[in-house]
Amino acid sequence: MKVALLSESPADEAVLRVLVDAILGEPAQVAPAGYRARGWPNVIQVLPAVIRHLHFNTDVDTLVVTCDSDDSPVHTEAHEAPQYYHPHCRMCQLRAVFRQTSKRFPSAHGRLKVRRVVGVAVPALEAWLLCGRDSDVSEAAWINGQQAGRLPYTRAELKFRIYQTERPSLPHEIQCALRETERHRRDLRRLEYDFPGFAALMKDLKSPPQL
Amino acid sequence: MIASVAFRNFKALRNTSLRLSPFNIVIGANGSGKTSLIQALQRLRTLAMLPLGEAAAVTRVGGPEITIAFAAPHSDVTARLGCTSDVVCDLLRVESPSQVQWDEIKARLGTMRSYAFDHEAMAASALTTSGGGLASNGANLPAVLAARQRNAPAEFARLEAEFLRLLPEFSGIIFEEDSGGRVRFALGIGGAGEPVRAENLSQGVFYLLGLLVLSFDPVPPAVVCIEEIDRGIHPRMFREVRDVLYRLSYPTSFGEIREPVQVIATTHSPYMLDQFRDHPEEVVITQKHGHEARFERLSDRVDLPELLREGTLGDMWFSGVLGGVPEER
Repeated sequence: MKVALLSESPADEAVLRVLVDAILGEPAQVAPAGYRARGWPNVIQVLPAVIRHLHFNTDVDTLVVTCDSDDSPVHTEAHEAPQYYHPHCRMCQLRAVFRQTSKRFPSAHGRLKVRRVVGVAVPALEAWLLCGRDSDVSEAAWINGQQAGRLPYTRAELKFRIYQTERPSLPHEIQCALRETERHRRDLRRLEYDFPGFAALMKDLKSPPQL
Repeated sequence: MIASVAFRNFKALRNTSLRLSPFNIVIGANGSGKTSLIQALQRLRTLAMLPLGEAAAVTRVGGPEITIAFAAPHSDVTARLGCTSDVVCDLLRVESPSQVQWDEIKARLGTMRSYAFDHEAMAASALTTSGGGLASNGANLPAVLAARQRNAPAEFARLEAEFLRLLPEFSGIIFEEDSGGRVRFALGIGGAGEPVRAENLSQGVFYLLGLLVLSFDPVPPAVVCIEEIDRGIHPRMFREVRDVLYRLSYPTSFGEIREPVQVIATTHSPYMLDQFRDHPEEVVITQKHGHEARFERLSDRVDLPELLREGTLGDMWFSGVLGGVPEER
């Protein structure tokens, strides 16, 4: 499997590489230079171009995209209904971009389209990293907080719990992130259960490629 | 170190003030007051080194004036620069409870440095004996590096390691000294390859090296002002540039125990601005309307969270929503 990654930072990309290998149970052939977006609105802006580029100019068969949900509506089971589309849910938006961008593509490089793999970290990737370590951190806890109008933690707090500073250097950020990811690499079940936004990524990645 | 600066009738800064944080990234249109802020602080440094004496008795009314307040433990000290014109500020009045307090501030102000790097100046060889510090345009870089290697080998090793991490195509910093006592440097590329001499390096390499020299200074200044921190550097490296500067202002976040350095940096890059999304309190926008400019802190925008849902910080700046853009006719 030839995989390309689109993420928001080098630290996110490092984590994603480990998680993709763990999901597949073997090292994936990941394109060396990851595609990068500058935060959420930019993810959705560059995604069509990345999909088009990968489809026509490369033999990559899978594009893995992750982003933070920040304070956007969280993707829930209700969003999975046929024809349902939540205009502010980032999972719904990313999937729609994949669908719309590639629906008229002719097959290229021996595949019908680049496979879509989408994950949304609620509210940020640091929550995935804390999963299994801080029992109060989960997607359900965040949704409950959104509904109650009292969020259980902030993104800044999650970052501080991982990096022990508000301003980690990039190497420190990557080192801490990989240290926490090691727990998931050994056993993904807790992350899959507590974070449906990650479970969706797993499901996409395990689905058969569209040849 | 410096808590705030207030301007009255100084160039385009007719009536505005700015609270300064440990780290400040200043954005805005050309000619909107970014450099004036740095010039004012430079002027403060220069005048602070002179005896106050007679000048303290002089008061000018109505002319340009710049008032500087200091952070704790010197929050009851105020310095006022009096100017005869937009370009001549030659009067310093200090209100301090004691001479000791002002002497402490003066000592720290004396270390303040401002930089606008010029790669050609940075590439030029320098007298080995002149390795004290970088000139304001970055000149003297070879001598500073060589002196650092000689006098502070541990700090030099850390600087070099960080440089090689950021630019892994190089394998080391190599010095050459000529018979005239001038030193120049080259960068090794590993293996049997010829080292790349300074005159053949790209601009961004010099600027990055200059920032690292400041960031890993064993005796850093109290305040550092740097113009155009994004210049010559690939946008994907901006996070690293930000971190290099954060090392100065937030040493404990980088495992260092020393006094923080107050940083005032400018940029014209929306991509660089994106690096400060999580810390809008560090972003200063200079707003210019007609001939008058003023400062605003990004964190004072109450609608910032909503704006960031619609686009990146850089996009918001470029669009004009944040202000700090050139006026068009």
